[in-house]
Amino acid sequence: MSQIAADISALQARFADALKTAGDEASLDAVRVSFLGRSGEVTALRRGIGQLAGPERPEAGRLINDAVAQMEKALIEGAEHLRMQAIEASIKSSIDVTFPGIQPRVGSLHPIRQTMHDALRYFERHGFAIVMGPEIETEYYNFDALNIPADHPAREGLDSFYLRSDILLRTHTSPMQIRIMEQHKPPVAVVVPGRCYRRDATDARHTFMFHQIEGLLVAENVHLGHLKGMLTGMCRELFGPAQQVRFRPSFFPFVEPGAEVDTTCPACRGSGCRTCSGSGWVELGGAGMVHPKVFREVGYDPDVVTGWAFGVGIERLAFTRYGMDDLRVFFENDPAFLEQFE
Amino acid sequence: MLVPIAWLREYVDLPETTQAIVDQLANLGFPVETVVARPPLTLIVAGKIVKLEKHPNADRLLVCSIDTGTGTLLTIATAATNVAQSQIIPVALIGSQLATLKIEPRKMRGITSEGMLCSAQELGFPAEWFEDGIMQLDESIPLGTDLIEHFHLNDSVLDVEITSNRPDAMCMVGMARELAAAFGRSVRMPNFTPPPYSGDSSDVTVTLESTDCRRYVAQRFSGLQVRPAPAYMRLRLALAGQRPINNLVDITNYVMLEVCQPLHSYDFNKLANHHIIVRDARFGDSMTTLDDIEYTLEGNALVNALLICDENEPQCLAGLKGSAASGVTEATREIVIEAANFNGARVRRMSIAVALRTEASARHEKNLPLSLPDMGAARAAVLLAAEGASVHAPQAVGQPVPPPATVNLPYRDIPRYLGFDISHADAARYLSALGFKMISHDASSFTVESPPWRSDIAINVDVIEELARMAGYDKIELAVPAVFDQNISSEEFYLERDIAYALVSLGYRETINLSLESNDAQGRFLRSVGRLPRKPVEIKNPLSEEQRYLRIGAVPSLLRLIEKYQRDLPLRLFEITHLFGDGEIYEEVPVATWVYARAKAEEPEWRDSGFLEMRGEIDHLVKRLTGRLPEVTPDERIVTHPGKSAAILVAGRQVGYIGAVDPRMLATYDMDGVQVYNGALFLAHLPDRKQPTYRALPKFPGTSRDLALIVEPGRLSRDIEAVIARSTQGLCERARVFDEYRGPQVGENKKSVAVRVWLRKPDATITDIEADAAIEQALKALASELGAQIRG
Repeated sequence: MSQIAADISALQARFADALKTAGDEASLDAVRVSFLGRSGEVTALRRGIGQLAGPERPEAGRLINDAVAQMEKALIEGAEHLRMQAIEASIKSSIDVTFPGIQPRVGSLHPIRQTMHDALRYFERHGFAIVMGPEIETEYYNFDALNIPADHPAREGLDSFYLRSDILLRTHTSPMQIRIMEQHKPPVAVVVPGRCYRRDATDARHTFMFHQIEGLLVAENVHLGHLKGMLTGMCRELFGPAQQVRFRPSFFPFVEPGAEVDTTCPACRGSGCRTCSGSGWVELGGAGMVHPKVFREVGYDPDVVTGWAFGVGIERLAFTRYGMDDLRVFFENDPAFLEQFE
Repeated sequence: MLVPIAWLREYVDLPETTQAIVDQLANLGFPVETVVARPPLTLIVAGKIVKLEKHPNADRLLVCSIDTGTGTLLTIATAATNVAQSQIIPVALIGSQLATLKIEPRKMRGITSEGMLCSAQELGFPAEWFEDGIMQLDESIPLGTDLIEHFHLNDSVLDVEITSNRPDAMCMVGMARELAAAFGRSVRMPNFTPPPYSGDSSDVTVTLESTDCRRYVAQRFSGLQVRPAPAYMRLRLALAGQRPINNLVDITNYVMLEVCQPLHSYDFNKLANHHIIVRDARFGDSMTTLDDIEYTLEGNALVNALLICDENEPQCLAGLKGSAASGVTEATREIVIEAANFNGARVRRMSIAVALRTEASARHEKNLPLSLPDMGAARAAVLLAAEGASVHAPQAVGQPVPPPATVNLPYRDIPRYLGFDISHADAARYLSALGFKMISHDASSFTVESPPWRSDIAINVDVIEELARMAGYDKIELAVPAVFDQNISSEEFYLERDIAYALVSLGYRETINLSLESNDAQGRFLRSVGRLPRKPVEIKNPLSEEQRYLRIGAVPSLLRLIEKYQRDLPLRLFEITHLFGDGEIYEEVPVATWVYARAKAEEPEWRDSGFLEMRGEIDHLVKRLTGRLPEVTPDERIVTHPGKSAAILVAGRQVGYIGAVDPRMLATYDMDGVQVYNGALFLAHLPDRKQPTYRALPKFPGTSRDLALIVEPGRLSRDIEAVIARSTQGLCERARVFDEYRGPQVGENKKSVAVRVWLRKPDATITDIEADAAIEQALKALASELGAQIRG
């Protein structure tokens, strides 16, 4: 009996030595196998129990089991110790945190769309619907219904691309005023973004294709103050809270009174710079009160409702917003340009 | 229009500073595009040459004694050759600043010159527009007159933009009227009262054969002397950009610029039978203009031309330009002045048809008021009489001058349109300043008569705009409208926006390409695949061949971008735009098109990982946009590889496609080693988004089995998955092909496919026995339906 006890303590001593030298998980496992494994030393020791006298056997078994429990606990602790050691070691290392990152896949909206969306958002908040329309138009919608009959000198500035004598690419988004009013009774509150085309030579300030936002509000008691309020709101959305809007008298056959709309030059905040040719203002577009002739054309009664409309060029807004100097860059789509607007 | 402030001061007292005038014009609706500053001149007075002698020491110099009204004569040497005794000329005194030099006392070959005689150039005018040498002034100018002040030589010239509704403002008097009203001044109208007539114009006969000539005033003048016009007239014309020619031509131009009525003068003796006939052009008509260009009227020109003829031939393209045959020359002694009113649309059509636009036609085409011809002729008569002409009585034919329009304006309309009110008294004052006459008024409304020169006033809003202009548009207060209840849908826009955001989230960059293109894209289709996706829509009047066609597809534009920017591979680009097609059907459809370009990948020909990326993306896109996964089936399209093209269907309708771009198409671009994939969604075909319905998450664990099958290469993954799904007694949660292999290990005409099958029971944990039995069923079905074998 005492022999067994001596063997157990000798084995525990050898185990303790082995454990001490096991510096990683693999050697720890080797220690476990050689002592506690199926053909390990503990198994050999258990075999010795059979040679003991009957009454001694339970005591020997208990001693061996206790030893095994201690060894298993020591192995778990050893493993835990190793894990902690590794963690402790790992926080001593460091990397170059300024090393360039792994590039994610990044897309981007075109700056014209971003500007368009930002401008539309203000109107959306105020209950305006956003409507799309065709780019191929008839002369009726593009001109006649808008009080620009054939041979009207106002057609001068609206040189058009024709597909047929009476079908053309729209020169402005204004034909949508007619299409919307034909289909809906007042009140009507819409903004219409879209591509337009004019037969102009291309240079840094002109492209034959451009984008406009049309606005149309028709209801009872709608006046120029509401127009100025909404356009001011749009400009503040785009350029900041200090933005002002001014109206100057102008002429568009489908509005009366008509106005040219300017906003504080965002580049110099109104003090005068190269962007605004020193005036402190940049042009937004044309606007005015819907002409009674246009209302009659769509069956609205100008004695009951009033309305306003405006047309704003998006390129011009984006151009000013991003401080660009050449419109053509928008349509070259150089990835190096597009990625500036992520 | 060039507006010399110097000229305006003739009619109205204006502020000294240019900026005050510029700002006021902008407030009135006449923006000044540029301010042309004049050279700042000093110390120039009118002088008379009282004595003229040869310079004792220089053959080419003359020594003049000049009287400038001071009592002391100045001695001034000059090299000019056009000087003569008793001429009145501009004299730059010592210290004078001229356009190009400053005058200092200096000796010229031993004689001290006390100033300089000036040419027009030294006063800042184009030399070639004036006499060669010293500028000649009128005898009426008192000696010693400060010429800078007299002619307002230092005042700027404004380039003013005039909107097409205001032909009345296309002249100096018109500008003066507007400024006078705004500044609260009165207008000094020019003299329209000619001297007593020395005869009538009855020996000139006028016949109007076309109603497009609404009024025609013919007036005969005799005893004319052709010579340079007076200095003030020449200087004003030059400032306004008109080259002075001679007194007859200059007076017609001067009257047009002054009161807006274009005039034409005919040599009375060159008009056959002195008979003027206004008629439509006839076949065979032709005319050579004053500047020696021959117009043979054909086609549109023949249809649209309105001619002023004598009994033999056309003498003038009405409102555009006169003929050389009857034009005035140095020898002309008698003229007929034409002051006519033509239908603006007719003049405009003719102007376009003969490709000629003049100062006169630019005015006529805006429909001038009928009251103008009589005024224009009267003004010309005053100026010609001053040149010594005998004035005959004018002869007017055509429509009588109609009474001015009257407009009734309810007061309530003012705030209804403007958002602010204008008092009755202010309204009356503003309108009277602009030349309106108050006809009647009561508590609720008033009626005004439009000024006779205004052709743009017809209804209430026209008068409201006048009131707003005078009150100032800056009186308009900011207001925000109430939110309106309406049922206009924004869905089309939201769909476009959602697709844009979805593609951006997948790493695509949005591009915007020009919708007009050359035939380049068509050529590439024809060269590579032999046909076009559809017939392009053609522009009838492109500015260049680069803009002849509307785009049939966005892919060629996107491929051009890839070709140009291939340095940046891999590239993911998209565009959402309208595309056009089918020739004269003018179809226009909104399409989202995207391309993915990468360097060619090393992989077997039966595998295309680029396509698989497109496939993964389209599943995501369609699910995000419609709430449903798409059905993907093999497809044939013109732009994509015949074996790598798939139609995308939702609820049985094709909503788009994905594919590898046809390599034959790619080969037409300069980008070897680049693979391009393309997808598109047709916005109008996408169904409304279906809201997801919640499914409870499974409560019991499931299991999965991987199958390795050998099938014919043509078998579609979709079909394998479908057979498994329906042959596993409802236990299959999902079957997904996840690998494919072809090669020697599986043999010719076979492919090996790996499928993972997820199995689960809703109400209990699935057992291995149940799972194995289900897989057994699936394998049987795969063998019988698709000829699939288990890979051993």
